[in-house]
Amino acid sequence: MGHHDAQGPRVLKHPHRSRLFHWGLILGFMPAAITGFILWLKTGSEDFVNISMKIHIVGAVILTISALLYTFFSLDRIIAFIRLIFNWDDRDVGWMLVGGGYPQKMLLGKEITVPPMDKMNSGQKIFGICLLLGGILLIVTGWLLYAFIPVAPKVFIYWADKIHLVFGIFLGLFMFVHIFLGIYNWGEFKAMFGDGTQPLSEAQHHNPVWVEKKIEPVKNETADKTNVVSHGS
Amino acid sequence: MARYDYVEKAVTVSRREFLGIMGVAGAVLWTGAYAATDLVQDRSKYIKMRAQGIYKDDVKAKVRQSHNNPGLQQMYSKFAGKPLSHLSEELFHTRYIDRTKLG
Repeated sequence: MGHHDAQGPRVLKHPHRSRLFHWGLILGFMPAAITGFILWLKTGSEDFVNISMKIHIVGAVILTISALLYTFFSLDRIIAFIRLIFNWDDRDVGWMLVGGGYPQKMLLGKEITVPPMDKMNSGQKIFGICLLLGGILLIVTGWLLYAFIPVAPKVFIYWADKIHLVFGIFLGLFMFVHIFLGIYNWGEFKAMFGDGTQPLSEAQHHNPVWVEKKIEPVKNETADKTNVVSHGS
Repeated sequence: MARYDYVEKAVTVSRREFLGIMGVAGAVLWTGAYAATDLVQDRSKYIKMRAQGIYKDDVKAKVRQSHNNPGLQQMYSKFAGKPLSHLSEELFHTRYIDRTKLG
């Protein structure tokens, strides 16, 4: 059974587990990134830096557990994500050449035609690649620095420290860009922080290839069940 | 409960892809573990060699106790007076710093 509100049919863009993982990143990566900058620049008193390090470690624990749980329980989403971010064609080149039409929209206030995109646009794909590879490196080097300084060889720790710093700065700054663009693209923000759904028309506008090829109507059986549960709850 | 009419199609993974993913993951973990254990093994090897070298020096040495070292005895007689003197304490004794703070 279809559900129609004022905006027409809706599509589930971010399932529960993906939204939960996103919350893991917010509660884990965000405090770790902010305190990371404090630790790097040593801003404030000794006590302030000390408490920042404690928050940094707690953030790292939340981030690591979230990443492991998502890997184990949502391997299909990770595979879909990896397939998507490493899949580049002429449309991505075209999209990159016009910056997705965002500079024109933000600075000149005019809309231009952009190549159709899948579930993620080319800019998001670049962000995804950086987040996947950089995130793994940050987690691994972070735990090396936390637990293995006394046992690991100095040169090993030296490079772990350098990698942690460079990728930390890079991804930390990327996070602020991500927050800005997430709020700018309000529909996407509402989907990620709401119930994970988006009006089909909106998804069609931003992700026409995804809508055309990768989604399907909810099977009647499931829809009926959903209906029963939602009425029952 | 979220209400929606469309959902993303299930992700299918072929056997070939599954083997590829497992192969890459296994290779990365294996290489990482090999590199890490190799470095630690090398490090232990150098520590052992250094210790053996020091023992060899000890075997060859005529004076084997630090308090019988003529250089040290001369230092005390001409400069620092005696062990635990005010000057020796100031110069040679270690001061400890609280390093339990993380930041």
